[in-house]
Amino acid sequence: MAEHAPPSRVTYDYVTRTIARTLGSPTRGYFLLLGAAVALLLVGIVTLLYLLRYGLGLAGYSHPVYWAVFITCFVFWVGIAHSGTLISAILFLFRSGWRTAVYRTAEAMTVFAVMTAGLFPLIHIGRQWYFYWLIPYPNERGLWPNFKSPLIWDEFAIGTYFTVSTVFLIMGLIPDIAAVRDLATGWRKKLYALTSLGWTGANEQWRHYTRGYLYLAALATPLVLSVHSVVSWDFAMAIVPGWHATLFAPYFVAGAIYSGVAMVITLLVPIRKLFHLEEIITLHHFENLAKLCLLTGSIVSFSYMTENFVAWFSGNPHERAAFWYRAFGEYWWASWTMNICNGLLPWLLWSKTVRTNITALFVISIFVNIGMWFERYVIIVVSLAGEPYEPWANAVYNPTWADWGIMAGSFGWFFMWFLLFVKNFPAVSISEVKEVLPPPKRQAARAGAH
Amino acid sequence: MTTHLRLPLPKPIQDIIHPPPTPGVLGVFSYLDSTLDAIKKLRAAGHTEFTVYSPVPRHEIEDALGQSVSPVRAFTLIGGIAGCAIGAWLSLWMSYDWPVVVGGKPVGSIPPYVIIMFEMTILFGALSTILGIVFNAAFAARRSGTIQYDERFTNDRFGIFVPADSSQASGVESLLKQSGAEEVRRG
Amino acid sequence: MTEPINRRRFLKVLGVTGAGTAAVSACGIGPEPTERLIPYLIQPEDQIPGIATYYATTCRECAAGCGVRVRVREGRAVKLEGNPDSPINRGRLCSRGQAAIQGLYNPDRVQHPMVRNATGGGSLEAIDWDGAIQRLSAKVAEARGTGIVFLTGAEASSFGDLVDEWMRQVGGRRLSYEAFGFDALRAGNRMAFGTASLPTYDFANAKYLLSFGADFLDTWLSPVEFQNGFSRAHAFDGGRSASMAKFVYVGPRLSLTGMNADEWIGVRPGSEGALALAMAQVVVSRRLARVPADASRLSAVLSAHTPRAVAEEIGIEQDVIVRLATEFARSGGGLAVSGGIATQYANGAEIVAAVNILNYVVGSVGTLVKFGADLAAGSTNSFADIAALTSDMAAGKVGLLFVHGTNPAHSLPGAFQQALGKVGYKVSFSSFMDDTTAACDMILPDHHPLEQWADSRPRAGVTAFQQPVVQPVFDTKQTGDVVLRLAGRSGTFQDYLQAKHRTGRGAGFDQFWMDTLAKGGTYGDAPTRAVRLSTDLAAAVPPLQQERGSGGEDKQDVVVFPHPVLHDGRGANKPWLQELPDPVSKIAWHSWVEVHPDTAARWGLATGDFLVLTSDFGSQKFPTWITPSVRPDTLAVPTGQGHTAYGRYAQDRSANAFELLDRKANAYGGRTFAVSATATKTGEHRKIVTTEGSPRERGRGTVEVLGVARAKALHAGDHPFHHEETPEYAAEAVAWWAERQHEKAELGDYRGEQPRWGLAIDLSKCTGCSACVTACYAENNIATVGEDLMQRGREMSWLRLERYWLTDEHGEPQGAVNSPMLCQQCGNAPCEPVCPVYAAYHTPDGLNGQVYNRCVGTRYCSNNCPYKVRYFNWYNYAEREGAYEAWPEPLSMLLNPDVTVREKGVMEKCTFCVQRIRGAQNQARLEDRNVRDGDIVTACQQTCPSDAIVFGDLNDRRSLVYQLAGNPRGYHVLAGLNTKPAITYLARVVAQDTPSHG
Repeated sequence: MAEHAPPSRVTYDYVTRTIARTLGSPTRGYFLLLGAAVALLLVGIVTLLYLLRYGLGLAGYSHPVYWAVFITCFVFWVGIAHSGTLISAILFLFRSGWRTAVYRTAEAMTVFAVMTAGLFPLIHIGRQWYFYWLIPYPNERGLWPNFKSPLIWDEFAIGTYFTVSTVFLIMGLIPDIAAVRDLATGWRKKLYALTSLGWTGANEQWRHYTRGYLYLAALATPLVLSVHSVVSWDFAMAIVPGWHATLFAPYFVAGAIYSGVAMVITLLVPIRKLFHLEEIITLHHFENLAKLCLLTGSIVSFSYMTENFVAWFSGNPHERAAFWYRAFGEYWWASWTMNICNGLLPWLLWSKTVRTNITALFVISIFVNIGMWFERYVIIVVSLAGEPYEPWANAVYNPTWADWGIMAGSFGWFFMWFLLFVKNFPAVSISEVKEVLPPPKRQAARAGAH
Repeated sequence: MTTHLRLPLPKPIQDIIHPPPTPGVLGVFSYLDSTLDAIKKLRAAGHTEFTVYSPVPRHEIEDALGQSVSPVRAFTLIGGIAGCAIGAWLSLWMSYDWPVVVGGKPVGSIPPYVIIMFEMTILFGALSTILGIVFNAAFAARRSGTIQYDERFTNDRFGIFVPADSSQASGVESLLKQSGAEEVRRG
Repeated sequence: MTEPINRRRFLKVLGVTGAGTAAVSACGIGPEPTERLIPYLIQPEDQIPGIATYYATTCRECAAGCGVRVRVREGRAVKLEGNPDSPINRGRLCSRGQAAIQGLYNPDRVQHPMVRNATGGGSLEAIDWDGAIQRLSAKVAEARGTGIVFLTGAEASSFGDLVDEWMRQVGGRRLSYEAFGFDALRAGNRMAFGTASLPTYDFANAKYLLSFGADFLDTWLSPVEFQNGFSRAHAFDGGRSASMAKFVYVGPRLSLTGMNADEWIGVRPGSEGALALAMAQVVVSRRLARVPADASRLSAVLSAHTPRAVAEEIGIEQDVIVRLATEFARSGGGLAVSGGIATQYANGAEIVAAVNILNYVVGSVGTLVKFGADLAAGSTNSFADIAALTSDMAAGKVGLLFVHGTNPAHSLPGAFQQALGKVGYKVSFSSFMDDTTAACDMILPDHHPLEQWADSRPRAGVTAFQQPVVQPVFDTKQTGDVVLRLAGRSGTFQDYLQAKHRTGRGAGFDQFWMDTLAKGGTYGDAPTRAVRLSTDLAAAVPPLQQERGSGGEDKQDVVVFPHPVLHDGRGANKPWLQELPDPVSKIAWHSWVEVHPDTAARWGLATGDFLVLTSDFGSQKFPTWITPSVRPDTLAVPTGQGHTAYGRYAQDRSANAFELLDRKANAYGGRTFAVSATATKTGEHRKIVTTEGSPRERGRGTVEVLGVARAKALHAGDHPFHHEETPEYAAEAVAWWAERQHEKAELGDYRGEQPRWGLAIDLSKCTGCSACVTACYAENNIATVGEDLMQRGREMSWLRLERYWLTDEHGEPQGAVNSPMLCQQCGNAPCEPVCPVYAAYHTPDGLNGQVYNRCVGTRYCSNNCPYKVRYFNWYNYAEREGAYEAWPEPLSMLLNPDVTVREKGVMEKCTFCVQRIRGAQNQARLEDRNVRDGDIVTACQQTCPSDAIVFGDLNDRRSLVYQLAGNPRGYHVLAGLNTKPAITYLARVVAQDTPSHG
């Protein structure tokens, strides 16, 4: 394999112990973070209770803006969820070795992001207690859902994506859990003994495991691309100017990966620092992530240009009105935040010095996250608010405490799971990092002795 | 494996779930090449039923063992096809079971249903792949019974367990030592 | 039930009202039943559960006296509809009429007699009827001689007669008061023709309409009747020779009436008369019409009023005057009306006289202006009388005051209220705790008109009857009965009424009585009386002089106009009317001041900034509404809001414009509604509650307008708007799509045997009066959400009226085109396929069904609806005591039992009154026939005073709607989206040649 040569002291044993150390007993800092996350989650739960009791009116909705912050967050989190499987599956198929150090974090992030995203459709519907009517379950009235509705496509796509990325994560974990098991003591040993499903690393196990993993990757790859395409069709299938564009699927997928990779960076930087993984997650890895950002970011900004060009080129007055409103209407600030954060910032990544400067990357990744949130906000809220078909259906929408409360809750929910994960399971793949190390050879050892 | 939960079970099932220990010799190696060397020697000596432990999957080992391709792919294929069929059945049958016209579109309109079929393909494909891995691996484990294991194997050591009765054991031990095992145990 | 029901007695209980006692008392409210509970075990023969019964009665929301039919279900009145037998409204009704029912079931009604206790801080406490009446008769006895006054509203009725009789008996006097009296009309008619009576106006047969401020579509005299006539004259009707009567509006601001004009002459307030005289002068001097012989002497009188002189006096080009005069005279059927604002200046009477002269010289008096069939609306006392009363009261010359059917404390703030304090004893018969009642010592709540026996004489030859349609909701008593008891006379008011009408009808009376009640009244035509110009025209024709009230530079002309739906404020306690956007400004729930953009720019005002208007008489604060529909040098404010009492919906809401007005009568004994005031910015700002979207249609294909010349040139089969069907950029795509769609279509909209329900809406008829909106609220149990939520764009109105200015070449509005926007019931509905649970689906008869029970509230359907006519229940508006409760008890009694009350979290929309469709279909099935065209009438169509809406089956080639859908003026909104709407709009036709709608 074509990975760079790691420092010689990074041996199998070193890897195992360094990563296993991340599971050591948590510090106060960790509990503070966890506490903060849970607090945010509580805010969300209380808000939700209010929504259930009094109705969605508590949120800022205003005719004709019938989708707003909740759906924005839904798309935002689904987007976040995309880099994980990309890195673990697509890069796996491409045999790019650098993924090994980062893919576990990305994958965990994926699973938890989907778990978060999945909540929003349930929260945003008017009669949350009937969410199960969207599921095709046999009932005495012989009612079925409408498979022509993009929302049902969504349900299937998100559901599948959640299931597959979860099993994918668990699969990858098994050998590592086994490794940790063999170092652990006490209750943790019991836990890992159970969760490692009796993994020993016997050749028969590896034989089926590696094969299966390959096929999972092969299945996950088209899935990643499909999921955000389907999400994008929630909008592209509607006739709202600003939504109704064939460009949407690739545009959304690129955007999703863009935001996802940014989020990976945002999460990896602190983890690397806190857990002292500098020698396992190296600058080299960050630079590659940055390049991925640059690529997808460029696609996104290209899509922005295309959108506007098509709106003008189509000659469709409604389209033109919609995009004019987007750029210069009441929400100009949102649009320009989006353009600057997503369109301009990534161009900094052309310079290697920026790509290899952790702090710079961290800051940029934060801005990209903000920008991508606003992208969804602009697409959803602004397109609806400046309804160009009906001159008498236009409203200026303003989010309320309920919108922000639910959004805060979603962040709490996500980080709670993520923090619990990194303390209890190896946040970096042990076996795969070893895999890309040169295996211990007798000759090599002799040479070292001289 | 000491960490297995020992559930009190009736005898026959007990034997399947927790087979009695297999007698044999366990060699611990710290180097890949010496492990490969040992594998070659063992095969030359006509041993077939031995187990190789390694912390990472190495193609060298697979090649040395000359393993055939895992049957897991069959599971994936069947699962995928089944999923696609189920997706088609779900969307079409349910549409015609409760035929409601919306937006001037036909009751059963294929293009949107392709999406359902696709997602179901992936879902069932993935799940049956998992099934395949667990089934095969578990089956493999059963075949080799409960055998000796060393906790270092998931860290940085390679190992070979050769099932052998007391008559063959000494021969195997010497063979493993020759090929550079840093430690040889008999169990 | 122990003893068997005596059927005759039972029917006597029910009377013709047939009120289901069981139903009423079952609701736990209403008085203790007059009879024992009667279950439907033995069924009253005119009460079939689930089947509505209709009772004819008369609307008393204004003095016009429109006939109504009340739809009663299980003893509850659920809807008011116009009575087709009535010659006044011909089965139509306005918003105010529709909302009368919210007065009946108003949660803030006075539920029982009350008296102010002398001791305990003078608070009002409950009292029983006998006690109250005893006390009162004692009061009357001791008040004899100290001045007894009975103040009523417009009461040309037996009740009025009864009160007069009683007043004579106790030595008191009755005055009748309407905030917007017609003193100027009477004075003007006297000046011009020597008669003070108000004629009827034949709008339907006019060929050219000229209104000097008369808002005959919203508040003037008899709006529904006039609007019906107006739409006959003004609507474009292909084939007819004079295809449409041009309508020119003269006034300082565009009202609902002005909005429908083809041309707007925005003269300075008060100068209307000069214009009329100038036109008359042109007609006479140029012999444009066959001038009646006795009018010849006019030429001398009018010599001063040459177009040139007048032109520079009132500031419009003289050739405009000449053109108008020529058009008016040559039309061979010119009708000029004056009223509203124009008759409320100090010189209102002269203006009326001038307009009369204009009518006279073109020979319209006697043909279109019919004296003889006089309107009773003007039969109230003059404002001078009321002012006199006020001063009498203030001087303590009134010992006992009765107030019934009017609320002077609101329309005469300050003066009357203070005077009220000086009155010995004050008795109110109001059923609402209004501004006046709140200050009274005793309240004897009258029945609501829908619970009453009464009659009224809205015009000579017509007597409109009222009969109780439901059992009284509360422990109220008909004032007629009270007066009879006070007068020591026997019998009830019902007997009194019958006695009055029995005279001259011997044996046949009972039959006559039943027939009349069934028809709602006796309808005859009074002979037209010829009138001649009065001998001293000098009085009628004032010398041409500066009419303007001395304003001063810092002062602004402020015009106070009656609110189209709240009128003088009596509508303010009805949530339907509060939530109904004003037809012009589209503002609801609060009042406003209209400011011209130029003025606003000069003063640095933004819409919503507060302006304090300070006249010599009072000062009030209004939020600004910036609009081109008012003169730059004029401000306009509506009445209606700013009540100090009058229930939860009206109290302390916005500002009372009456505060600004002079309390003293002007020269002709009327009230002056135009004042000059200073306007100062307060710096405060509010988000105004408006449904107004873009005032310009911006070529979105929402409304289409044709010049009359072009419209006439159209032949059957023409499609002037065909390009809209497939805009260039979509032509190819749509062609391809249509082809693919063809075979699916069979299935797609279930073609074949099924009907396809559709509407045709003629924008040339629609005036934007919004009666349909209120009718829709009433029929479909639509929730009112209140000021706060409406401000956040959450009103539920399924039907909204979009108003787009029609502008001349200078971009100045010349009127507006109004377009009712409701669910288009698309054949290829974008809303349907996106619903994940089939809550939105296509019914076999081509409706976009909406299954409330299935809806989970994803709101995707609304996002995908290009017309944005789907509305979401953000809260549970039916929740008892909820923050946004729409139907507090007993308002909930008017809910239509045929329509679901929607739950929180559910999407709702118009479905062409599907409950009426199914009802008619079931009826047809019972009668074993097909549904006939006209069997099904949607609520909006039923009430529309101008017949703009037609419902029917588009698959039935003989149906009216089918023919209209094929009309060359027909077009579909946003047809380019290929949604295949079921609603065909007929383009508005304007008399200008080059119409533009922005």
